[in-house]
Amino acid sequence: MFWIKRLLSIILAVAGCYAVDRIATGSLDSYGQRLIILAGLYVTLAVSLNLINGITGQFSIGHAAFYQVGAYLTGYLSVTFYAKSSLQGIPWLVAMVLAGGVFAAIAGLVVGLPSLRLRGDYLAIVTLGFGEIIRILVQNNAKLGGSYGLNVAPKFQSIWLVLLLAVVCIAVCRNLLKTAHGLPFLSVREDEVASLAMGVNVTKVKVSAFIIGSAFAGAAGALLAHYEGFITPQTFRMDVSFIILTMVVLGGTGSITGSALAAVFLSYLPEYLRGLKAAGGGPLTVSGAGVIAALLATAFAVALIKRIMDAGLGSPTRRGLTYLGILVGGIVAQFVLSMGLSAIKPLAAAQIEAGQLRMVIFAVTLIVLMLLRPQGVFAHHEFSWDFVKRLFGAKNVKTTEIAA
Amino acid sequence: MSLLQLDQATIRFGGLVAVNSVSFTINKGDLFGLIGPNGAGKTTCFNLITGVYKPTSGEIRFDGRNITGTPANRIARLGIARTFQNIRLFKALSVLENVVVGGFLRHRTTLGSALGYFPSAIKETEELKHEAMELLKILNLDQVANVRSADLSYGMQRRLEIARAMATKPQLLLLDEPAAGMNPFEKEELNGMVKKIRDEHGMTVLLIEHDMRFVMSLCERIVVLDHGEEIAQGPPSAIRNDPKVIAAYLGEAV
Amino acid sequence: MHLAHQLVAGLDFPTLPQQLVNGLLLGAIYALIALGYTMVYGVLRLINFAHGEVYMLGAYVALFASYFLGFNPQAATTPVSTAFNLLVMLAASMTVCAIVGVLIERFAYRPMRRNSRIASLITAIGVSLLLQYGGALFLPNSPPPSISEKVNPYSQSKFTVTLVPPSPAAVEKAAKARPEFEKLQKEFDAYLARTGESRFDLSPAGKELRQRTQDAEKTYGDAQRAVESGGIRLIIQAGQLIIFVTTLILMGLLTFLVLKTKQGRAMRAVSHDFDSAALMGVNVNSIITFTFILGSALAGAGSMMNATFLGTPLTTFYGLQPGIKAFVAAVLGGIGNIPGAVVGGLLMGVAETLVVWAGYSPYRDAIAFVILIVVLLFKPGGLLGSDKVEKV
Repeated sequence: MFWIKRLLSIILAVAGCYAVDRIATGSLDSYGQRLIILAGLYVTLAVSLNLINGITGQFSIGHAAFYQVGAYLTGYLSVTFYAKSSLQGIPWLVAMVLAGGVFAAIAGLVVGLPSLRLRGDYLAIVTLGFGEIIRILVQNNAKLGGSYGLNVAPKFQSIWLVLLLAVVCIAVCRNLLKTAHGLPFLSVREDEVASLAMGVNVTKVKVSAFIIGSAFAGAAGALLAHYEGFITPQTFRMDVSFIILTMVVLGGTGSITGSALAAVFLSYLPEYLRGLKAAGGGPLTVSGAGVIAALLATAFAVALIKRIMDAGLGSPTRRGLTYLGILVGGIVAQFVLSMGLSAIKPLAAAQIEAGQLRMVIFAVTLIVLMLLRPQGVFAHHEFSWDFVKRLFGAKNVKTTEIAA
Repeated sequence: MSLLQLDQATIRFGGLVAVNSVSFTINKGDLFGLIGPNGAGKTTCFNLITGVYKPTSGEIRFDGRNITGTPANRIARLGIARTFQNIRLFKALSVLENVVVGGFLRHRTTLGSALGYFPSAIKETEELKHEAMELLKILNLDQVANVRSADLSYGMQRRLEIARAMATKPQLLLLDEPAAGMNPFEKEELNGMVKKIRDEHGMTVLLIEHDMRFVMSLCERIVVLDHGEEIAQGPPSAIRNDPKVIAAYLGEAV
Repeated sequence: MHLAHQLVAGLDFPTLPQQLVNGLLLGAIYALIALGYTMVYGVLRLINFAHGEVYMLGAYVALFASYFLGFNPQAATTPVSTAFNLLVMLAASMTVCAIVGVLIERFAYRPMRRNSRIASLITAIGVSLLLQYGGALFLPNSPPPSISEKVNPYSQSKFTVTLVPPSPAAVEKAAKARPEFEKLQKEFDAYLARTGESRFDLSPAGKELRQRTQDAEKTYGDAQRAVESGGIRLIIQAGQLIIFVTTLILMGLLTFLVLKTKQGRAMRAVSHDFDSAALMGVNVNSIITFTFILGSALAGAGSMMNATFLGTPLTTFYGLQPGIKAFVAAVLGGIGNIPGAVVGGLLMGVAETLVVWAGYSPYRDAIAFVILIVVLLFKPGGLLGSDKVEKV
């Protein structure tokens, strides 16, 4: 009975992804389709990073390295072996996705091993370091195209496989947390010493997290390589790791739902910005004065909000209204400051396209999140009716799936 | 029958000898107390027994087998569980979840079956939850099963730590100042609970405590440490009147 | 052994001393940056990810200061530079960097002090990205500007130190070849004057004489080159020497500050134990501000010298690589340990230069990460630091 239900749900998932694929290819142009693919890939990347950082509490900030390993190694395999291979078409792509996962899992094992001896910020730097080493190795390897990049053929522009990977990634993480097996991961995050005392094999848990997390990133990399048809080491530089990190931080470390939603939102945001048009039809620009004014206004607003948050006076509703007031005030302040700063000629003259603001917005998002709500929007909650109930003050509501 | 044996266990931190050649034996079914003034090395002894520290010299034997230098999680598997002096609960997890972590020690399904959400993993999760609830009932925590452990009162947190340790189905249970911060009524309750743990659940108990009355009324045998060394061993009646013990706690008799 | 032989055989040993000097020089700059990392980690246990960007800003300040002093590429005429200009630029860089460092600490790090270290690290990453990309919006990035060579009054002077003189045989050969050549040259000139022939239309006799003269010239030229490239000598640019000396002076001042003054003692107290220091009456906040001022100013000095004397082109991402390498240097020497940062910096500079010298130039950036991983895995306390144990 179980297996029948399971088979049905798998078929349903595949069919669902395929349906979205058909709808998308039918109604969207290539630009819109690309957005969906990017969002799907980032969802997989963010949720898989969340498994390592948010759920297991390790600090991996070089996730792009696994993405890169999957992309490059499968790209190379395709270029070299596809023509002679007996597998063609989609089965080959699926094989590549699995291969990408395996390669990245091995890399994850290598990167995860230091995690056994290093804490927090040191581990973070080491994971960054591994990422850079991989990037530099690829950059200097002629067979992988060096800094000129690797042309990957054949190209597979399948949306449904990207969506399916994201669904599988979310499902696997969810499954982990629905069973008792997920608890040791959380306990390692909470308190390693106590976990050891309770017999948890902390080493195995940490390494498992790295392997599973990196495998999904590698699988996503395989899909990226075959979708774009061209990858360079620049595609996987440090900033990409930071973008994925921002998604996890925004969504809420430990929340699968949060990471997924944040990934969609933040992958769409830069494209949205780039697409903003000014009245005349060209890209929307903001003056330098406007940007600085916005940054300053944000800084003041955040400082005020933080002060009120820390003081904790008044009811939550009253504080909420105050925050709203500060936000409105901030927007007004931005206008005023912008006009004032425009007096400085070079600032007014500097026209900055909305699309160029992308990384600045990411950076500001990170900083503001850390200052005001480091646990992210969803903290470690998943979306469920219980979450909604708790927002309205209910207390005796389950935190993760394991509940009486 | 000897369950735990410390044989001249010593640990040195740089120049400081925290535990110096301490030896004692705990038999199966004992209610054993480890007392001594602050800084005597009691928690350090616990850390040695549970594998948090490795002794510089000496041996620790459990159930006949040498566990000196065995890693902490293996020692838990072998049957020694503990609570902590400064409560170390899994704060973000609920009361029930904390206990299930302890119970998870005896799990049989693989990680893969969990990732795939197979029936075996689902069934085992239910079983672990059920067993955890039973333990919570024994420690009067079943009403707050779904509450975040960080939100519990201090006394309840202490009880939760005990429940979690018991979930690992240990042969030997180490309690580090379980009565700290409790009022006399709660201490009475705890006293009865510990006895019940030994009598009905077959666990041998070793506890560290500062409250003399609590220790004397509960423990059947006691070892006293001072400055890392063992200064007295025996039943409460002997310890109570031992001049060395009195001197250690109160200073030299006038 | 065979592989090692091959490796060694490919190395150009005579250039090694020069490369070592270059490495130490590069290392001096890394040391200046590393000091900032190590001091901040010492008092706050925070990896100041944004330190590389403070370094970057210092270079831009030096650039704009040079424009202000008249060395603008658009200017019609450029004044003659003096040491005064250099001092102005140095002061400007150090001051602005100190201010930026203090602002970052006050508004981004101080509010995070009660949060976990990871949260502070993420904040630092955010600040770093903000400075890089925010700077890219306002600062000249492409084409990457660089400080005019004319700013450096010592750009032409250099010092030559001869370690191993060229072989006497070669010197003798050159000495003999010279008069030979000069004699033949005089002969040829005399011949032309005598016969009235044009240099370009010679009789066979004239051609033969010209040939002999040219052969003698070639012999002399070869002998001369052999002398010049023979032996081992070091060429140190005046600019490089200035960087070295300035670094030594700054480090000396820092050491004096940390060891002999009240502020220094307070810094050391805070780095041991925040709360105890506060209980002893140390104004922890002002000490931390002081630490950031010192660290950022040193970084500013480093980038000013790098940009001015080494002429590096500037982009807002210019602080990334040196920042990471300097961080590794701090870890290598023992993070939190001030002499360690200096030792680490010098070692990193030499290591990087040797990697390039050995012919593995594309991997020069990777060596930093490899060193980092090796140190953190095997001796996290670094060369001069200690490895601590967590108490249960």
